[in-house]
Amino acid sequence: MKVAKIAALAATLSLAGAGAGHATTLEDVQSRGELNCIINTGLIGFAAPDAAGRWDGFDVAHCRAVAAAVLGDPDKVKFVNATGKTRFTLLNSGEGDVLFRNTTETMSRDADLKLSFLPVTYYDGAGFIIRKDKGVTSARDLSGASICIQTGTTTELNLADFARANNIDYEPVPIETNEEARTNYLADRCDTYITDASGLAASRATFDNPSDHIILPELISKEPLGGAVRHGDDQWFDITKWVVNALILGEELGITQANVESMAARAGKNGDINRMLGTEGDFGAMIGLDKKWAVRAIKAGGNYGEIFDRYLGPSTDIGLERGLNALYTDGGIMYAAPVR
Amino acid sequence: MTTAPTDTDSQTTVGGDSVAASHADQPAIDIIGMHKWYADFHVLKNINLRVARGERIVICGPSGSGKSTMIRCINRLEEHQQGDIIVDGVKLTNDLKNIETIRREVGMVFQHFNLFPHLTVMENCMLAPVWVRKTPKAEAVETAMKYLERVKIPEQANKYPGQLSGGQQQRVAIARSLCMNPRIMLFDEPTSALDPEMIKEVLDVMVELAQEGMTMLCVTHEMGFAKTVANRVIFMDVGEIIEENTPDLFFDQPQHERTKLFLSQILSH
Amino acid sequence: MNTATYQPGEHPELPPPVSERGALGWVRAHLLSSPFNIGLTLLSLWFLWWIVPPAIDWFFIDAAYTGADRNACRATAPDGACWAFVGERLQLFTYGFYPAEERWRVNLSFVLLCVALVPVLFDHVPYRKAGLIYAAAFPFIAGWLLIGGFGLTPVPTDKFGGFMLTLVIGVTGIAFSLPIGILLALGRMSKLPIIHVFSVSFIEFIRGVPLITLLFVASTMLNYFLPPGSTFDLLLRVLIMVTLFASGYMAEVIRGGLQAIPSGQSEAADALGLKYWQAMRLIVLPQALRISIPGIVNTFIGLYKDTTLVIIIGLLDPLGIGRASVADTKWAGLSTELYVFVAVFFFVSCFAMSRYSLYLERKLETGHKR
Repeated sequence: MKVAKIAALAATLSLAGAGAGHATTLEDVQSRGELNCIINTGLIGFAAPDAAGRWDGFDVAHCRAVAAAVLGDPDKVKFVNATGKTRFTLLNSGEGDVLFRNTTETMSRDADLKLSFLPVTYYDGAGFIIRKDKGVTSARDLSGASICIQTGTTTELNLADFARANNIDYEPVPIETNEEARTNYLADRCDTYITDASGLAASRATFDNPSDHIILPELISKEPLGGAVRHGDDQWFDITKWVVNALILGEELGITQANVESMAARAGKNGDINRMLGTEGDFGAMIGLDKKWAVRAIKAGGNYGEIFDRYLGPSTDIGLERGLNALYTDGGIMYAAPVR
Repeated sequence: MTTAPTDTDSQTTVGGDSVAASHADQPAIDIIGMHKWYADFHVLKNINLRVARGERIVICGPSGSGKSTMIRCINRLEEHQQGDIIVDGVKLTNDLKNIETIRREVGMVFQHFNLFPHLTVMENCMLAPVWVRKTPKAEAVETAMKYLERVKIPEQANKYPGQLSGGQQQRVAIARSLCMNPRIMLFDEPTSALDPEMIKEVLDVMVELAQEGMTMLCVTHEMGFAKTVANRVIFMDVGEIIEENTPDLFFDQPQHERTKLFLSQILSH
Repeated sequence: MNTATYQPGEHPELPPPVSERGALGWVRAHLLSSPFNIGLTLLSLWFLWWIVPPAIDWFFIDAAYTGADRNACRATAPDGACWAFVGERLQLFTYGFYPAEERWRVNLSFVLLCVALVPVLFDHVPYRKAGLIYAAAFPFIAGWLLIGGFGLTPVPTDKFGGFMLTLVIGVTGIAFSLPIGILLALGRMSKLPIIHVFSVSFIEFIRGVPLITLLFVASTMLNYFLPPGSTFDLLLRVLIMVTLFASGYMAEVIRGGLQAIPSGQSEAADALGLKYWQAMRLIVLPQALRISIPGIVNTFIGLYKDTTLVIIIGLLDPLGIGRASVADTKWAGLSTELYVFVAVFFFVSCFAMSRYSLYLERKLETGHKR
């Protein structure tokens, strides 16, 4: 009786969904006027709020690019904060439209969890950080060490594989967030901690004496980080996939946040640029958007290279080199399919 | 309505309840062939008891004989399964209305007083008149003071029950019942939980009440009280009324063996 | 020594011996009463000396109160707390993501909450009756102020965060779990089988499932059951879950209180002709609740602290805001300051609650002491 009352009250209070029964994700997002983007609860360089509460970071920039392409406004994003454990459930239950939460693409996640992975935005690999004075120079010497590790991640599985292959006995210290790992490590509750090398670099940048710590040379896993959407809506997959591609292509083609609008004003000599920026053909219509979708995506936060440099690159406190994440033309493996 | 009855006659006229007034010649309580079980245990067996208006009845018997249970049936603190109980012309059924009507007219005093410890003496006395009879507050205060004076503790009105002695508490409990202007008073071993030196002050109040003509059913082992005020004494054992008689005959010439045994045990100490 | 002799019945009342009086007497009795206690006293003193001065240094003396980022803090105060971090993020900690130009509504709600609490917490305040009516209406007024609509700009509940979120969840849970808990407790003691079975299964279910699970169900699983496209405000789901969770525990606390009330109390009420609900409201519940105060407040405090669990489902309470904030490169690594700050906030609130419960117990005790 009481429950029924509460439920009735709840129903009247809740904002009734405007979406019809079988609307596509695109229609849902457009009628809602807001993109629900699943991000981290806080990860240096990838997602963090500023003093005014505005979220910013590498993953966040991708959310904003999608929102700009679909809704025309990079600020029309509702950020859904997810822990490592809740991210997939949130996506699959429809609480989020797209996931940009430093998530490693794997076969089981793709097939078993029924996700469709977008192009990789960051090629990473799990590495170890350890105090210099421990005298360890290789991950193979870690036998007997206690290792802080985030639960529910691919890293956890990769570490188990690595230890088995190299006959290493270790004592896992399970932790929930990157911040917790950092605190435990600095308090010497674990000898080393393992996470994606990008995360290690970001953390080390904030240590009181960064040079007292080294990142061991072995990266024990492949961690291709990228966005994801749920199975079942190919159009939405195409939209998000091509927004990511457009950002990478933008860098390749020299389209930047500053010049994108002037380049899109009229057709130039480069057909690739013309097609992407909508001055030639109507590629936006193929994914249910207008001609200027890619213009807005790049305008939101710049092309891939600009985003990388702003949040992770050498000029930031995190100071990551592009490495594998450089364009294929610069010795990396970032290689986006063309708009044609 | 506001003034309390001082004798049986005024009681029927001031009561303001047409049912009672029209049945003035009826017995106050009529119990006919009443049985009660606790699950399989037959606690009360074929109880027949008629109490006239203004009659004072003392019920005694060994513990476990069912005497408390019997008087608790009269205001439905216990449910009987067979037979009839008619109180003041109203038959006790499962009908909540009847039960409420009867409870308004029947006052009860418990062995352990059962005062409400979170309320002051005055609030204890006002509670039922205000909530059940819808008496205005000022009037309820007046009535409460009157009865507290009657039980000789008006100066304790603003104390909490916990600050009073046992005897004082039991007198408050009596006053609390009287505030509802009951036609019938039930007493369930009112002095058994008291220290010896306090028994008298409670009995004095009860005697006074009896002298004013209140219909009273009293479960007690105070034989002195029985001799002074009772019209009849009833002896119960194993759920039955074994013997009933006037106090003189009951104490001087008990008929039944069990009564003799009981009296010898009670009076020997 | 009292060596004088007195006639029976004429012994005067004498003061206790000197060793039991004054500061010296106190020290001797409480700190130095046996060699073991002397040892404990010394150990405690050493422990205090060891822990307190460094803590004060870190907290206040060596701390940096201004600075643009962590490095600035470390430059001025290498060994102290960096309160500049908390200072810069104070708005975020307080209001979460609530739009800046609408934050007056949060402030107003808070003031109204304080006003509403006065008549609830203390008797003998003027206009108490009107105050209580207002307090009953407060949740709805505050709901309107915070959510908006009807003339105010609507603010989606996912913008709620920080202390404001803690208070919204805490106050709602506390305000609704007590009455629901009372009903459940009465239901559990009811003789009507349907009500009894419902109450028992509800309470046992709630107590058998961790809050995290309920929150998780609320945040994600519910969408699988609801018709597609319909949305159901996340905060509302959390409020319902937290309230129901606390109600289950509350019911058991109150049932304990109810069982401690002698049956004679309700019998006396019955005998006086009070109806069931009157007897409950006027006689049984006031006493049962009084006995249950420590348990009730305990449940409240538990509920209040459990609000930090909402981080699991992506709502950012102060702890969540703080964790996210230390992911900002400007402030990365200041988690000690964050946890200390949040701990102080929770300690102050919970300590206030427990002091109030002691006050209430003392106040209500008067009638029961012999």
